[in-house]
Amino acid sequence: MTSGAKKSRWLRVASLLAVLALLATACGGEDAAEPAGDESAGDESSADESTEDASAEDTAAEDEPSEDTAAGGDNVVRLGILGECEGPFGGFHEDTVGGVTLALANGAGATSNSPTSALDGWSGATVAGTSIELVGIGCGDDTPDTILGEVRRLVEQLDANIVIGPLSGDEGIAVAEYAAANPDVTFLSGIAGSQEPTLQVQAENYFRFHADGAQWNAGMGDILHNQEGWDTVAVIADDYSFGHTSAAGFIADFCGVGGEVVTRVFPPLGTTDYSSFVQQLPNPDEVDGYFWVVGGTGTQAALEAFVNAKGDLTGDQHAGNLFFNPGLASALGPSIAGAYVGGFATLPGDVQTPEIEEYLASADETWESLAGGITAGEPGDPSMAAGFGFFYGYYSAGVALVQALEAVEGDVSDPAALQAALGEQVLDLPYGEISLDENRSGIVDVGLSQLVLNDAGEVVSETVAIVPGVDQTFGGTFSDETPAPSRDFPECVEADLPWVGNAIPVEGGVPQE
Amino acid sequence: MTTRRLAAPGNAVFVALLGVLAVLPSFTSDYFINFVMTRTLMLGLAAATIVFLSTYGGMISLAQLLLFGVAGFMFGNAALESGARGLNLGWPAWVAILFALAVVTAVALLLGALASRTTGIYFLMLTLVYGVIGFFFFAQVVPVSGPGGVTSIAPPALLGAEVRLYYAGLVLSALVYVGFRAVGTTPFGLALQGIRDDPVRMASLGFNVPLHRMLAFSLAGFVAGIAGLLNVWWNGQIDPASISIGPTLILLIIAVIGGISHFEGAWLGAFVYVAANNYLRALPFVDRIGITEARFNSVIGVLVLLIMVLSPEGLVGIVARVRGWRGRRPTLERPIEPAPSAPVRDAGVGAADQDHASTATFGRSVALDETMEGTDP
Repeated sequence: MTSGAKKSRWLRVASLLAVLALLATACGGEDAAEPAGDESAGDESSADESTEDASAEDTAAEDEPSEDTAAGGDNVVRLGILGECEGPFGGFHEDTVGGVTLALANGAGATSNSPTSALDGWSGATVAGTSIELVGIGCGDDTPDTILGEVRRLVEQLDANIVIGPLSGDEGIAVAEYAAANPDVTFLSGIAGSQEPTLQVQAENYFRFHADGAQWNAGMGDILHNQEGWDTVAVIADDYSFGHTSAAGFIADFCGVGGEVVTRVFPPLGTTDYSSFVQQLPNPDEVDGYFWVVGGTGTQAALEAFVNAKGDLTGDQHAGNLFFNPGLASALGPSIAGAYVGGFATLPGDVQTPEIEEYLASADETWESLAGGITAGEPGDPSMAAGFGFFYGYYSAGVALVQALEAVEGDVSDPAALQAALGEQVLDLPYGEISLDENRSGIVDVGLSQLVLNDAGEVVSETVAIVPGVDQTFGGTFSDETPAPSRDFPECVEADLPWVGNAIPVEGGVPQE
Repeated sequence: MTTRRLAAPGNAVFVALLGVLAVLPSFTSDYFINFVMTRTLMLGLAAATIVFLSTYGGMISLAQLLLFGVAGFMFGNAALESGARGLNLGWPAWVAILFALAVVTAVALLLGALASRTTGIYFLMLTLVYGVIGFFFFAQVVPVSGPGGVTSIAPPALLGAEVRLYYAGLVLSALVYVGFRAVGTTPFGLALQGIRDDPVRMASLGFNVPLHRMLAFSLAGFVAGIAGLLNVWWNGQIDPASISIGPTLILLIIAVIGGISHFEGAWLGAFVYVAANNYLRALPFVDRIGITEARFNSVIGVLVLLIMVLSPEGLVGIVARVRGWRGRRPTLERPIEPAPSAPVRDAGVGAADQDHASTATFGRSVALDETMEGTDP
């Protein structure tokens, strides 16, 4: 070996050493020395410099928490939010932070740092003398690996002691597993609708103040089988945990009241060409109806594939979970009217109560506009975002946090006490009351709706029934001893469902009971 | 190895670097060690297999993350006693490790056998197909995974504390780094490099070209499997999205960032990737210019583009370029050095047809040809 070659190798290794050492020092030092509140309003949510008050409070926040941390008192809520900035639900990133911000604006005196974006964070959030600081916003992409990296960044690097999120089903399982391994950190699910985080994982510090995907379809079987006369149905659902859970809820409900599921098809999440999957469905004259659990951009593509393969849609032969919406009419025409739609945390706009109106108005007061997912990422009325489930799930978690902080008089130094308080909370929310079961999962009222034509001939959602007090066990169909929802589970069997016959009809937007 | 070679400056720096990394947990935060550095070492290990195949075999493989994942899935299925998914065989951890490594090596042997008669772009595409098939296999075959993957996977008791995973990664990285370099000086490694440069000539000399490629692919698969085991212990779960096309390309990007013709580059590229993912968005004002967490992939894309244009040999190669700019010793005139560090081959060109001229690695390629002339099968 020549001396030149040796020097070349030496230089390469030396450069590696230098870069590693420099970056290690820089990055590691940043972690170790970072004060707890240093990222008040977030690095990615830094305070709007044009807002003097916000800047002043941020400065104060940077100074105070370091003392708390140093003293071990740690009586500051360092909140991390697991959002969704990429992937199939990446359009709802604003909604995730917006929901929490609105809850803190309404219950903790917070002020949004931006009139047009929730991602800039808030300032001035205080409950019982305890400030709530946003340490960071995680960026999920619907995959467990990414959300695990993000939650670790929030907890282990940015020192979050409370995390709100995530949004999606598989992410929820991963975060619940992480929660089980980190009992001193408190987790409140955003709107992740898979069944497993609470029913199977059962982390005692993971709280879900919303339903799972199965619950949101409770009561559909009663309507479709007993009211509409469907005896047989084909189910097509996304092939991932939320799709399985949502389909499982419908199957348990429809079969529970005596219906039969003749076909189950599971296209992978993110499929763009559904033609091969639609071909696996029976023809319209071979089945009474179809139930669709195809989400994101796939809903319309799947229905268009159905039209191409099976003929025109007739709304009275189709139903779907939350992904069915009036917007489908823009591509599929008004014949989609008549389809029934499962619930999703909130209720369609035809139901207006003073509580709902006050809630939506508070969103419009908090921001001038928000680029939420419901407006396809374009600036729109904040109340439009607030009326949709993604925003509302995070809002519910924020309200639960505020109430629990009040219950412990702002003392978050004992995570167990805070978690015990969270488990006892009953939320009196604008779209219905939410309490928790023994696995810390929401017991909720589910609103079922139907796509109908209004006087102008437009397809709109209309609430048809509210199913009260739905829990995730479906009267014993699901438990911690049953398998997780999958392509094959649950089987189609009759069962006693606690809510059959108890649905509250809604007429003209007014519950009849 | 002579005492003189052991005392070479490069070896001294390597040992010093290991020393620094060994004491690093004492000086940095837990997050930096347990997340950034542990992930760096795991991804570096996996990326080193791409460098190995590229440098010695002239094979750019996109199947390494699949093999990385196969080991994780196999361990999860074998080790878990109960759970919502997987076979839940409940085997002891060390048995599960051996099982996972045996399976991944067998899979690599099989895939390598199928791919060993292809070169260049065809090898690249074939390994890409492997990756896609692997993704759909684990997504569709519910007994071993299904779309939700395998969760609640714990590391062996010996590696229970997170910092131990870091040290495991460090030790394995050091062994693999030294081992891969050593392979380049063995008769097998020299023959492999000869096959890289001129397979027809090597075949005419009596070497079994497909067999050498297959064995190289198997060795790389075995090492990728080790990295995959570390990953699944560190992450606690694995699902088909972990080995989808996106992460597959990221592993290649890591190798390219660091320098696909330098083993050091695998870990350096992994560190840059992981550090950028974690710290870039925390830099002041980057959000004001639109670089938010949602733009991370764009940033990495620009970085790769810059490296491809400015330094095709990656970050490690920049050192050589800087040396050339300083005029102390122009790169093209540097003395010939035999393997292990051999030139990168253009994936789009058949190895036998590649142009050997006018690159910084030209000299070493010639040296290898000269070396091989004296090597009989």
